[in-house]
Amino acid sequence: MNNKKDLSRRRFLQSAGAIGGTAWLRIGAPALASIAQAACTAKEAGAPFALLGEAEAADFAAIAARIIPTSNTPGATEAGVIHFFDRAFADERSGSLNPARDGLAELNATLRNGTRFADLDTTKQDAVLGTIENSAFFNLMRVMTIFGFFAMSSYGGNKDNVAWDLIGFEGHHGAWEYPFGYYDAEVHGGSVDGE
Amino acid sequence: MASSVHFKNDEAVDFVIVGSGSAGGILAKELSTAGFDVVVFEQGPYRKAADFHHDELATIFGEELLNGIPGNGQTFRDDPNKKAVMPQGRTPVRYAQTVGGSSVHFTANFWRFRELDFKERSLLGSISGTNFADWPISYEELEPYYTKVDWDIGVSGAPGPFDAPRSKPFPMPPLPIKSSGVLLERGAKKLGLHAQVQPLAILSQPHNGRPGCIKCGYCMFFGCEVNAKSSTLAAMIPLAEASGHCEIRAESAVFRVETDAKGRASEVLYYDPAGKERSQKARAVILSANGAETARLLLMSASAQHPDGLANSSGFVGRNLMFNAHQVTQGVFEHQLNDYKGAQVSRMVHDFYENDEKRGFYGGGGIDSRPLWSATPILHAMQGMPPDVPNWGAQFKDEMAHNFTRQLCFIGGTTSLALDRNNITLDPESTDQWGRPAIRLTYRDHDDDLAVAKFLQDRSMELLDAAGAEKSWRRPIELSTGGEHLLGTCRMGDDPATSVVSRDHRSHDIPNLFICDGSSFVTSGRGQPTMTIMALAFRAADKIRAAATALDI
Repeated sequence: MNNKKDLSRRRFLQSAGAIGGTAWLRIGAPALASIAQAACTAKEAGAPFALLGEAEAADFAAIAARIIPTSNTPGATEAGVIHFFDRAFADERSGSLNPARDGLAELNATLRNGTRFADLDTTKQDAVLGTIENSAFFNLMRVMTIFGFFAMSSYGGNKDNVAWDLIGFEGHHGAWEYPFGYYDAEVHGGSVDGE
Repeated sequence: MASSVHFKNDEAVDFVIVGSGSAGGILAKELSTAGFDVVVFEQGPYRKAADFHHDELATIFGEELLNGIPGNGQTFRDDPNKKAVMPQGRTPVRYAQTVGGSSVHFTANFWRFRELDFKERSLLGSISGTNFADWPISYEELEPYYTKVDWDIGVSGAPGPFDAPRSKPFPMPPLPIKSSGVLLERGAKKLGLHAQVQPLAILSQPHNGRPGCIKCGYCMFFGCEVNAKSSTLAAMIPLAEASGHCEIRAESAVFRVETDAKGRASEVLYYDPAGKERSQKARAVILSANGAETARLLLMSASAQHPDGLANSSGFVGRNLMFNAHQVTQGVFEHQLNDYKGAQVSRMVHDFYENDEKRGFYGGGGIDSRPLWSATPILHAMQGMPPDVPNWGAQFKDEMAHNFTRQLCFIGGTTSLALDRNNITLDPESTDQWGRPAIRLTYRDHDDDLAVAKFLQDRSMELLDAAGAEKSWRRPIELSTGGEHLLGTCRMGDDPATSVVSRDHRSHDIPNLFICDGSSFVTSGRGQPTMTIMALAFRAADKIRAAATALDI
């Protein structure tokens, strides 16, 4: 990964067009609504997964855990991102299940002796993902991990709002008071904690 | 959710208005409260404040207010010789399909045009290869209607050093400055520029029975849950319905305007919420469906009498589409801004608004300061990360976590030139969910549009440095693949050979067909069109009301 800078520059240029239309995973509002509904129902029922088998769930969860890893702060694992994957895959309108399964099968086929991605140590996992980081499959995994991590917890991930806490987003419950931050406090008076 | 008055389909109402957005909502209110019977068609549902929420995934990525259907049955190409395709990514022309239209989900930046915007062709001369022209009306003629927008719609703000004259002060003070605004002021001061208050169509205090902003931060892309954002849904539609003369027909998609043997508009054909074909007779028809939908509907209404589409003897229907080019720079600061709270923008710089020959290209624009993509977590992760950081892994996570509360954007909206090649046409193959021919967008920014965007980006980078950003970067300026500002496709003008509607928004070809929305624009302005769309609508309503009263329709 010694050419990481060049790679990330290239990825940036690709994603820069995203706001104008190339790289967004488009699920569509009706499908999203049913994903959220399914996630709530599954939580109430205490079901592990609506669709995913144990082995593939472990692989997808391991991929998500490298995209947003756990450190001294929570990552995709603690946020329960795999539950978002599960609900999204279960809704065929998301169109994500087959590309995800095909991509995972291809990835596992590159490993030796029937080893699965989840069996590798994290250093090896990073190296393997580094070889496919410009693929459509990896982009799907990345976008779904971000969605699952940061979307409202009713979608299945972002358990106890750990993702929002991580970035300092105080939730979306409504009315804020000035000052909001350090610089406007100079105008409005008061101070803002959290530095 | 339904209007209390119901008009019969086979009895002609005074006006059918197609579209309930920035223009349609105002026309509905002005005409119905004057006693005319009005039916308003809106293809989206009738959502109200209580229906709006903070679900980022559904609203921004599911495009819930746009229709919620990926691609929304549209196609795009950047070259008229290519076949247009449905993009995998975002919907090409993006407007809210909901009662109130895009005034529901917009960011609510609300500056007036200046005198020069209406007469730049006279001031600067022609620009070869373009349809650059003067407007048939002046700022002075529109000024009373800008003032009406300020007071009737609800605009908060304070005058800036370059503003055109106003006949009345703002009806309420601006929202308080945010950290992003403080930093823009800091940068501007150092560079000898002038940061000024960003006027907003967001109430800073109670006004006309609506509450002030609660600073939740969910303005851009979202509907306002307290009606503090001055959409026509909040400010106009309730008054229209209360008149007893206005019926809103939501989830009703118009697909044709019929004309009779005398060449007059006689009825509109539409799909009702169950998908059944219906018609509504009318004495006059007003199209306020936006710069893409209005053009599509006219083209779809072609007949033996009007083979190239209705009101299109000039061939100008659908042409001259202008998006307002734009640029984005981003910066990270030492301390927390928490700019995700409150309305997006509090300060802007208009020092580069005017054209300057020395730059070597036409155009100008404004720069404003806002969280933009760091207003919500997913957008921040998807769009807000610096280019030198990998897009996954430990560093990605750490950078996201550190930057979210410390980041802002200085962005610029610019002029776009009117060109034949940038247009809305009917896709010959694709259809939308109702089976109507898909909107086919053909668009390629003029070189000057990109040059002025680049110019504003260079200035924005200087402002970020001067403001003390620890780290700053620019998004590459790319050709537009879609847009939200849908301007110019049925331009107003005195010459029927080079315009679609008169200075009073009456179509040159059909005496009882009026068109008023972003399509009426002759030039693009500098990046924030909605206030001018609304001012045009108030003015058009006056003209139409007077004509109807004089039985001149």
